[in-house]
Amino acid sequence: MYRFFLLLLLPLTLLAHMSVAVSYPYIGAITKSIGAEHIDTVVLARGNWDPHFVVPRPSLIAKVRNADALIMNGAQLEIGWLPPLINRAGNPKTQSNAKSFLNLAQQVTLLDKPLNVDRSGGDVHPDGNPHFHLNPHNILILAKSIKEFLISLDNEHADIYEKNFSAFKSDWTKKLKVWKEKMRTNKGKKVIQFHDNLAYFNSAYGLESIGTIEPLPGIPPSSRHTLALIKLIKEQKPGYILHDVYHSTKTAQYIADKTGIKIVLMPHDIGALDTVEDLTSLFDYLTSAIQ
Amino acid sequence: MKKQLLLSALCATIAFGADVLPVEKRTFEQSKFIPDISLILDASYVYRDADRDEVAHFEVPGVAHGLLGSHSHDGDSHSSYNANEGFNLNYGELVLSSSVDPYFTMDGVFHLSEHGFEIEEAYFTTTALGNGLRVKGGKFNSNFGYLNEQHHHTWDFADMPLVYESFLGMHGINEIGAQIQWTAPTPFYLMVGGEVLQGENEQMFGNSSIGADKEDPTIKYEDAPSLFIGYIKTSFDIADTTVFAGLSYAQGASRIDHSADESPHAFSGDSSLYGADLVVKHYFDSYSSLKWQSEYLYRDMDGKQYNFDPSDLTSVLSSPDMIKKQAGFYTQLVYAYDRSWKVGARYDSIFQNDVEANGNDMNKPTDLDKYSAMIEYNTSEFARFRLQYNRNNALFNEDGEQQQIDTVILQANISIGAHAAHSF
Repeated sequence: MYRFFLLLLLPLTLLAHMSVAVSYPYIGAITKSIGAEHIDTVVLARGNWDPHFVVPRPSLIAKVRNADALIMNGAQLEIGWLPPLINRAGNPKTQSNAKSFLNLAQQVTLLDKPLNVDRSGGDVHPDGNPHFHLNPHNILILAKSIKEFLISLDNEHADIYEKNFSAFKSDWTKKLKVWKEKMRTNKGKKVIQFHDNLAYFNSAYGLESIGTIEPLPGIPPSSRHTLALIKLIKEQKPGYILHDVYHSTKTAQYIADKTGIKIVLMPHDIGALDTVEDLTSLFDYLTSAIQ
Repeated sequence: MKKQLLLSALCATIAFGADVLPVEKRTFEQSKFIPDISLILDASYVYRDADRDEVAHFEVPGVAHGLLGSHSHDGDSHSSYNANEGFNLNYGELVLSSSVDPYFTMDGVFHLSEHGFEIEEAYFTTTALGNGLRVKGGKFNSNFGYLNEQHHHTWDFADMPLVYESFLGMHGINEIGAQIQWTAPTPFYLMVGGEVLQGENEQMFGNSSIGADKEDPTIKYEDAPSLFIGYIKTSFDIADTTVFAGLSYAQGASRIDHSADESPHAFSGDSSLYGADLVVKHYFDSYSSLKWQSEYLYRDMDGKQYNFDPSDLTSVLSSPDMIKKQAGFYTQLVYAYDRSWKVGARYDSIFQNDVEANGNDMNKPTDLDKYSAMIEYNTSEFARFRLQYNRNNALFNEDGEQQQIDTVILQANISIGAHAAHSF
């Protein structure tokens, strides 16, 4: 059994270019930083669409079929779209039990793990909030586990991956200081969101999310909830609605008209907005948005 | 080893002593191995502008009969979806799926109705073959065409397209057998597949002996398996538009028994079914899309029709050579406005209906069509309510008069349990 797997992994070490499929653009960016020219990174989802609702287009089956490894976000963010692609690809290397499969959610501590899982509470994620990459400190943890993952698959280039990771780490650590300084004055500010996808960003910089425009996760806005939210905004005076780029801002606009609250578009991934081209510009944008 | 024994002995003592231990500490706890389970309910309210008793005897001349309403056949009671006027419980569908071991997964789809339990699908699929290869065995929906593999609850309309239901019946090609599929190592999607199936479709394929005299049946059986299917499918993206196209072919023995009908008859021969499908889907954003889906089916049935004497089913009154060349298509356009609202329209047609008995053209009608429109509201991913209107011009009564039947269907489709994957 074990030998069988080793046998499957053998061709990987012989190939100069290993192809790694990743679910979201941010994972692709980290993988590219560490793998550099030794890894072909194939990103499955687009950065400007809802990460929960990626259409399992047949062209993605071909990408999974041709991959030597798969890295996913996990925590059920891909539950609606990745399993059918893996099932149809006929590729043992991308099965979830394979050594060449990495689930990033297992590398970090998840926030807001629900005590009670029931769909009357909306489309909840039983393992906790899956949008953990928006805490920039987590990016380092993820980069380290991706480095170790790549080394485990391609030991020949271990030195290069170590070197690239060190460079990434020192670069990122410098930026963390800059972003911390930029966000210092925002500590304790109250905000509203559409869906709680900034939970990790907020916790990293001390922002307090006091409400969401959707009444429950995955449930579209209702007029009753919107009116209650308007009342809450008038009482607690949060400064901003931090809105994702893929939901319509119609309801947010209505709330803004009634309360004067400011709407700020917050990209969740690379490509969410045209100016967000890489990981650094993603956090540059996020940390500059509320000033 | 000793330590383990001690530990389990300790666990057992604790288990005995304590009231109830948390799941993860129970020694022989197996609940973590429970497969993914979901239950899908489909119910509808139907208004149909036609006489209920007559409707079950309507036919698509030369093609099929009993498409609407419930009817008896072979002693079984068959009913199509939304069969009755008023309320219908179409099914409760129980789905179980899980990994078996590192080499297989298994899926079971069970249709529960008020009258019984039906294994809709039960199959194992390989996961470890590699090289894009996948083998499936058991009972499953054939991957012929586009719609055939999908379950009723993922369709964009409450009923089956006319050409599918007329040629293959309400279950489509749902058979026991084996399937092999290979996804090519190309940058775009390219898949070829083949299936060997038992071949017991009620409308088009079959291999059993037919005849009232069981010792010496009028029509001799055909060796099973007797249905063979092959297909090729491809897909590519042009910016935010996905194109998906496929060609399918099915070839099999036909033994179709209508000896229990008012004018008892049976068909014995060989049939070929050709399919071509094209889906073009454009995405405006994460939730909004426009999907154009079309399929064309052509069938060629070549054999003999046996007309039995209603008073003595062992005697054959006539047995003309029968050749049927029939073709039809459906084309539908569905616009998803957002995650809640969808609207769609569909046009169905059977436009070729050449039936020859002993070389004589039977002059079967070819203006067989159907128009449908629907609007649906989804409260979440797990609950859908759909209002559909059909105008069906494809049915004829027993006097050979073409009917125009209007149907309004209000459908509720509700699911609980494991999150179903979104389909393309």
